[in-house]
Amino acid sequence: MIRKILFLMFMLIYLAQPGRLQAQQSSTNDLIKTLQSRVRRYPEDYAGYAGLGAAYLQKGRETGDAADFELAKGALEKSLDLLSNDPAAAFAMTQMAVVRMAEHRFDEALTWAQKALALGSGDPSPWAIAGDALADMGDYTGAAEAYSKLDSVFGSEDEKLAFSYQRDTRMSFLRFVAGDTQGAINLMRSAIQKAVEMHMPPENVAWSQYQLGEELFQAGEIAPAEKMYLASLEEYPGYYRGLAGLAKVRAAQGKYNDAADLFKKAIAAVPYPEYAAALGDVFRKIGNAQEAKKQYQLVEFIGYLNQVNQQIHNRDLALFYADHELKLNESLELARKELEVRHDIYTWDVLAWSLYKNGKIPEATDAISHALAQGTRDAQLFFHAGMIYEKAGDSAKARSYLQQALATNAHFSILYSEKAAETLARLTQKEIVVSRQEAPSVR
Amino acid sequence: MKTLGLAVLSLILAPAIYAQAPLKLTTPAEQKIAWAEAAIKAHPDRSQPYNELAVGYVNRVRETADPSYYDQAEAAVQKSLQLTPDNLEGQKARVMILLGRGDFAGALDLAKALNKKTPDDVLLYGFIADAAIELGDYAEAEQAVQWMLDLRPGNVPALLRGATLRRLYGDSEGAMLFFSQAYQQMPPTQTEDLAWTLTQMADLQMSVGHIDDSESLLRSALQKFPRYYQAQESLARVQTARQRYSEAVELLRKRNLSFPTAASRYALAEALERAGQKAEADSAYREFETSARRTIDSADNANEELIFYYLAHRHNAAEALRIAQIEIAKRHDVNILDAYAWALYSSAHYEEAQQQIAKALAVGVRDAAMLYHAGAIAESLKDSSAAERFLKASLELNPSSDTAGAAREALEKLAPTSAEARNSK
Repeated sequence: MIRKILFLMFMLIYLAQPGRLQAQQSSTNDLIKTLQSRVRRYPEDYAGYAGLGAAYLQKGRETGDAADFELAKGALEKSLDLLSNDPAAAFAMTQMAVVRMAEHRFDEALTWAQKALALGSGDPSPWAIAGDALADMGDYTGAAEAYSKLDSVFGSEDEKLAFSYQRDTRMSFLRFVAGDTQGAINLMRSAIQKAVEMHMPPENVAWSQYQLGEELFQAGEIAPAEKMYLASLEEYPGYYRGLAGLAKVRAAQGKYNDAADLFKKAIAAVPYPEYAAALGDVFRKIGNAQEAKKQYQLVEFIGYLNQVNQQIHNRDLALFYADHELKLNESLELARKELEVRHDIYTWDVLAWSLYKNGKIPEATDAISHALAQGTRDAQLFFHAGMIYEKAGDSAKARSYLQQALATNAHFSILYSEKAAETLARLTQKEIVVSRQEAPSVR
Repeated sequence: MKTLGLAVLSLILAPAIYAQAPLKLTTPAEQKIAWAEAAIKAHPDRSQPYNELAVGYVNRVRETADPSYYDQAEAAVQKSLQLTPDNLEGQKARVMILLGRGDFAGALDLAKALNKKTPDDVLLYGFIADAAIELGDYAEAEQAVQWMLDLRPGNVPALLRGATLRRLYGDSEGAMLFFSQAYQQMPPTQTEDLAWTLTQMADLQMSVGHIDDSESLLRSALQKFPRYYQAQESLARVQTARQRYSEAVELLRKRNLSFPTAASRYALAEALERAGQKAEADSAYREFETSARRTIDSADNANEELIFYYLAHRHNAAEALRIAQIEIAKRHDVNILDAYAWALYSSAHYEEAQQQIAKALAVGVRDAAMLYHAGAIAESLKDSSAAERFLKASLELNPSSDTAGAAREALEKLAPTSAEARNSK
């Protein structure tokens, strides 16, 4: 049975046919069908149920549909009902941790990962999920420690390479958070090389390329980011993340119609609220208020579609409301709720922004200091800090943060990039006026 | 031994993972029990939560030394098997209980029967290995552990058992490597597992005379799992090796505040005697004797300690031999072979004693007391060169062992004879 489950993982990880988006989805669907009939025939087959859970998860990853995660959970529960105190059960527990991560239940994800590790299966994969959960809970040191365990002492060369890929992609994110953007970019480049070397499924390679595109975009390197998004779309045609990334680039280049088309395509594949919000922003930018409104309504609709979506999109909605000055009370409520389960810098940032929009400046100052505590070089964080300090009357800090925002990435936001430049200009002007007034008179 | 030292150092210096995480008030076993109870509430018709509960209670015995949890574990297993007759995890939990209660033959039979039905279950091989090690069937244990490692390379249960076997085979460095590879994989939440592994490493270090390393490991173990009785017992041995007898007494007194075992009572009595507290030592010995005698014929006994007790403190070689014969009929692991050999020697059955100690040493085990016993037995058979070799090996292995003084004395007595022998040549 162990061989069977290993074979299954092999199929999942290495054998997905390269080709179009539909091709991968249909191969996952085929796998699900095969496994469904397997567990029907052998209802005691824990490995079959675990594999089925993993297959549903892969489908959820491809489609973004929360219902797939529910199906995954059911199959994994079945598997653990049959076997739970053996190293062989670690696979199902790890998948359970992945489901919890997808649902943004970070503490539960950490618990499942730790349960899997407690079985001591010799497979270090659960450390990755433990690290991810810790990072989302704001424990970056713990996350780095966990990622450092992603090494297979006894595995084959291929397995070592696979873990080194996982370590690189995750450490890359931690580097970025720690303010070492270039280090993050270098690590992601090396991860992509490994993904290609290992002939990983196109979706995984494309994800890595998209991720590098994101890091480049955040560093203000728009042209190299564009190349990466295009590469991800070539690797995995129709890839929604690649489309959304490219849309951001087009908006930064002022090609708003192209940006709108790309966002529409991304939403058609996976309706993420942040894509609808961005599309609305593009419409607003080109003066199409009616279309913008439609998209903004869609954001809320998706966010409240079901309970899982609410859990997943708390932070996105809080940011959306704050950005667009809608339902500001609810924005703050959502941000505070998210902080209960998530203490990473981005949750602090959204809370700070929401507090700012609600006029709670001292609290906003405190929250943004948490967001900036790791030294992350992210234009959005700098922009929010600049605006908050401006309201707090500390124009020196405000100027400095706004300068850093624009120096890091002048195109960081469709809505707010210009606002950053305007505010900075105003602050600089004000400074001159003030100094003129204060200059001693010659007479 | 250089690498051994390095491995130890890297473990102690390794930064505490998740340092910011708040201290949990519950132990891993308590946590497991709580999860299982919640799962039973949610799904009272499922057998698996009861299996989880049983394993939680078995783990709780390991955390506390309180054997009454086995009754609760047994009740949970019964419930599970009522709900789903013959379910694998329930039966595995039953094997764990048998092992914990010292019924190694019963555990081996059940584990082997289950293994026939599910030959790809990793832990079943582990249980076979556990029982076989206790019974002294090392080849069978080795085969089982090898299966575990082949099925899932690097899995922790296999590494821990492999380390135990390597130690028995005299491969201390190999054992240390397996222990630390297992340790590195354990999540920070498994505090008792971490402490247990550190204690095993400490005992290994101690057996080769590395007292400082042993102490550092035990201090780490006590940090991971405060008041851990196994670490306290080992730390008392460290203090004894340092001749800090009253510290050893203190540690054992504390340890025996909850659920003392016959072995820990014996250790306290010996410590009191060494510390010069004769009256208290006498009463502690009597307490030990009373509790140990009650279990002479049961599976979970303290016969090994009882044999040495009658030999060293009661000078009752006949009773020691009688108990050793009871035990050797059940198992032939290196410790009981050694105790049996020593009892035979004390009753002047030198040749039989020599055969038994040779069996123990043939496994490959490197233990200062056993080597001293082998030396004394060889000497009684007038084999001075073998006696000299064994005694020197004992002292070389661990110059601060319990038997080091006796070994030195025996060696000195031998020396003139050897010199005469050389002169006559």
